Amino acid sequence: MKVEWGDYTSDLVTALWRTMEYTFLGFVGAVLLGLVLALMRRSRRRFVRIPAAIYTELFRNIPLLAIIFITYFGLASIGVLLDAIVAGALSLVIFYAAYLSEIFRAGLNGVHAGQREGAEALGMSRMRCFWQVIMPQALRLALPGTATMLVDLLKSTSLLVTIAAGELMSQAQLISSETFRALEVYLVIAAIYFAVCYPLSQLLLLLERKVQAGTPLTPGRRRRVAKVKALLAAGAST
Amino acid sequence: MSALIEVRGLSKSFGAATVLHSVDVEVRAGEILTILGQSGGGKSTLLRCINLLEIPDGGNITIASQPVVSDGRIVVKDLARLRQKVGMVFQRFNLFPHLTAVENVILAQTRAAGISEDEAVETAVRLIRRVGLSHRALAFPDQMSGGEQQRVAIARALALNPTALLFDEPTSALDPESTREVLTVMRELAEGGMTMVIVTHEVPFARQISDQVAFVDAGLIVEKGPPDQVIGAPLEERTRSFLSHSAAG
Repeated sequence: MKVEWGDYTSDLVTALWRTMEYTFLGFVGAVLLGLVLALMRRSRRRFVRIPAAIYTELFRNIPLLAIIFITYFGLASIGVLLDAIVAGALSLVIFYAAYLSEIFRAGLNGVHAGQREGAEALGMSRMRCFWQVIMPQALRLALPGTATMLVDLLKSTSLLVTIAAGELMSQAQLISSETFRALEVYLVIAAIYFAVCYPLSQLLLLLERKVQAGTPLTPGRRRRVAKVKALLAAGAST
Repeated sequence: MSALIEVRGLSKSFGAATVLHSVDVEVRAGEILTILGQSGGGKSTLLRCINLLEIPDGGNITIASQPVVSDGRIVVKDLARLRQKVGMVFQRFNLFPHLTAVENVILAQTRAAGISEDEAVETAVRLIRRVGLSHRALAFPDQMSGGEQQRVAIARALALNPTALLFDEPTSALDPESTREVLTVMRELAEGGMTMVIVTHEVPFARQISDQVAFVDAGLIVEKGPPDQVIGAPLEERTRSFLSHSAAG
């Protein structure tokens, strides 16, 4: 039997879209939770710091597949029925938040203490100092690790095949069972993963280089730099 | 005339170590006070207490007739405003490395002082020129020499239009050439009538520029007065000893 790929195109597009959905939901959730955990671990209060540390250590040392099974099958067995999309996204958030919190924590710790003093001495509030001075620098430090995690997360969505989540790998399994051409099918699916992940990592590398070089990426910074250039040019000609 | 910065009975300890023992300092508007002394003697702590980067344990601080610290309690209502009025220049510059020189000068204007962006940009470019760095305006801190960075830091503090500037060993991390650049800018500020409190090891510079010199040792002001007296003819043995060592070094 031959694999009629033409017949599977729309299924594959849907599955790829599903993979993207899991990646997006999982990553956004993990970034938010990871940031909260990282901030908690920097707290001066023990009762804030310790739960975050326990969380991180716990979920960094459990396989993702176990978390997926617990949220999907485990919770179902006690009456908490979650859709595959909810259970899948939640598992990714829970697992990757633990890793991202460590990357963010290292980023925040990497910002020199003098930076806060510099901002405070200029009368900046703690919030302004955090968002304008500490965060941009922490982000720079955390970007390489975060980018690696994003690509890793995308690839890990394939584990959701175990709960028939409708993403690429689940679709591959379906096509394979219909055509009995496992090698061909899984090679094509692997190629699709590569075709998505490789450009994504290259794009993130490019972003990393731009951020590292300090290129103004926000509209606000671009506008200010343009204004400065205009004033400098006007000054030079007079 | 009353003092712009008035410090009375200021004390500060870190744990068991008392760093300042009831220190009195007065700086009038337009005056330059230089604080000399050995490292670890409490000079920087004294300076950092004035804009509350360190919280004093006791004493009073009044700035421009506004009580800031009263009997060791912080009573200033608008701490941000105080810090903008009393600018600070650090030994390690503390520039923001993710922003260009000119953006370093813009940031606090728009994000702390509520100045409009156009005005902030204009002020920043003017000040970057004033410290002689228009050709480096869009360079990042790590692309600049120490002297250039410190001049940007001075421009950054000036951008908030302070009534006084505090300098915490502004040239201690710099090579001789950079030191000269920074001292030149400071001299220009002095000529412009800026009120300054300077912690430094540059004794000849202190003698030239200061209206008052205070010699601080072990948390006490050992000797205070005009530079020709404190540096030229010190009364105290500890001052003499410090000056002879710093001259030799």
